[in-house]
Amino acid sequence: MRKDRNLDELFRDKLLNYEQEPPAYLLDNILSAVAGERRKKKLIFWRVAGVAAALLIAFVAGWQLNNGDLPEMKQADLVGQSSTPTKSPEIQIQSERVMPAQEINPATTSLANNLANSASQKTQSRSIDLNSESVATTFASKSTPIASSNESLLMKPLKSLYRMIKPETENSNTLQAMKNDENSPALIQKTIDQQIMELNKKILTAENTSEEKARWLVGAQVSPEYNVSRGSQSRSYASNMLRSSSANQVDLGGGISVEYKKGKRWSLQSGVYYSGLGQSSGNSSSSGGKDLQYATSGSNYFNTPVSLAPNSNRMSMNSNAGVIELSKIPSGLVVGNSLEDKSLNSAVIVSSTNFIQNFDYIEIPLYLRYTLIDAKFDVVMLGGFSSNVLVGNQIFVEDSSGKSLVGKTKDMETLNYSGTLGLGIKYELSNRLFLNVEPRMKYYLNSLNSNSEVTYKPYTIGVFTGLSYEF
Amino acid sequence: MKEFEQLIKDCIAGNQNALAKLYRQFAPKMFGVCLRYAKDSTEAEDNLQEGFIKVFNNLKSFRNDGSLEGWIRRIMINVSLEKIRKQHLMYPVEDVAIYDSINYSDDVIAKISADDLMKLIQELPPRYQLVFNLYVIEGMSHQEIADEMSITQGTSKSNLARAREILKKKVHENFGEINAKNNYTA
Repeated sequence: MRKDRNLDELFRDKLLNYEQEPPAYLLDNILSAVAGERRKKKLIFWRVAGVAAALLIAFVAGWQLNNGDLPEMKQADLVGQSSTPTKSPEIQIQSERVMPAQEINPATTSLANNLANSASQKTQSRSIDLNSESVATTFASKSTPIASSNESLLMKPLKSLYRMIKPETENSNTLQAMKNDENSPALIQKTIDQQIMELNKKILTAENTSEEKARWLVGAQVSPEYNVSRGSQSRSYASNMLRSSSANQVDLGGGISVEYKKGKRWSLQSGVYYSGLGQSSGNSSSSGGKDLQYATSGSNYFNTPVSLAPNSNRMSMNSNAGVIELSKIPSGLVVGNSLEDKSLNSAVIVSSTNFIQNFDYIEIPLYLRYTLIDAKFDVVMLGGFSSNVLVGNQIFVEDSSGKSLVGKTKDMETLNYSGTLGLGIKYELSNRLFLNVEPRMKYYLNSLNSNSEVTYKPYTIGVFTGLSYEF
Repeated sequence: MKEFEQLIKDCIAGNQNALAKLYRQFAPKMFGVCLRYAKDSTEAEDNLQEGFIKVFNNLKSFRNDGSLEGWIRRIMINVSLEKIRKQHLMYPVEDVAIYDSINYSDDVIAKISADDLMKLIQELPPRYQLVFNLYVIEGMSHQEIADEMSITQGTSKSNLARAREILKKKVHENFGEINAKNNYTA
């Protein structure tokens, strides 16, 4: 029998369960891709676990260090009262780092009691103050460390953690017990425990609220840097020095930064920056110089004394950044011996050129940044220190014919340290990309020149602009 | 379904042999599905690979009360649709054409292989190919297609009519006689 079927049926019948063997390599691709995905998931898990472990270690270490900062880490300052029933148990704690009462060395209990007695004579309050901030510090200052701890350093944070997770009801029970039996020796212990619990709870709450995943930012910035010369010289040195009438110069700086951000507000920044530092020195009018009779009257020339090394072209002169040592006498320069001084090394140069001293530094900073305003436009404050390595030291002479390298500045320190202060705006271009504009001021902490006659500590002002990427 | 339960568990545990077994079980049929939605075998291979990666990564979300094959097939179709969505705009065409239905005799049908029909489907413009597949092979309604592809029902009907028209013409050109004729709309 001849059966007719329409187009839809034709296609459905033939293609609905159509099968074709796919190429063999597809399975390998799929399996390797799935394995890759699983590895990625595992990696994420381990990252999260790593961060959690790091936070836990940081927490424990921080706890430990905080305890270690204070003398009462090993010897808790405990002040209690149990011998005078008519007086209230005024319980004082110097700080939140108090050893648990259970760990008080029994041998020192009497000392604690004595101290408490003397303390209670001073204050007659009957209140049991559980607020650590209102705990009287006067007591603490008078109290003597007692109760050496036998607790191992390892056990302390663990016990503290245990206390944090103690139920609230236990606290209220403790309080009730204290009220019922104010004078028992156990009261002191319980109250101290109570306070420790309260304080630990506060710390935990504060940490929970501020805890956030650490992030990294990498960025690049450039900045025009305005250099302001600052320094002093000995009188004899200054009397023969170039006049730095135009000492300030704008250079270009910039580099790559790496920022480690922990929490919402604090971050640590480092990186590698190039920083150019330069100054241009001119001179005053030569018109009155008695040694410059041959110079055109009224023009500005150097009339700076220079030292000439005998039998060579080497010449040196003083500048506010140090001694300029010219490896050759620049073209267009006229050197004149003093007419009244017969010594060879007393001369003047006559030229309308400017001397430009350039110093190039590679800077490795360590800045602490704090976000003042956390919004679309973050406002950030930063401060820190940098190590500056001198990588370039050149002197150029600039005149109408151009710029030529003529020497270097003597006695420049290879390594210097500087401090930086800045305020910046950080604009969120996307979730991960930020535009930064940061005016910064950098000042050198030590003289850039080791010459004892010269102190040269310039400072620079720059507006660092760039992008940073968060990951 | 019980036959696959242990296999699925092993796959979730990351057992490579189990993954390979599951793949071999369904790959030929799913490759057939992908071929219908692709313009060529290379694209179908890409879709099959992407689909199975999704299958293996989401096996946890498969509930054993349904058909595993149906679930995998749905993933393959979704991957294919997503590819078409990304590559081609779905033009909103509203003119519903009248399609002249054609009946084919068994003689003609016997001459046409599944591979031949697959080739004809792959030669369709993507949006016609898509709607034809969803309506004719998968059995979806125009409303479902419209929802799936974010187009109107009118566009879906129109695309289907045009697809049929093209296929009819090609079948006639390649394989011969038209046996009977009935007029109806999509």
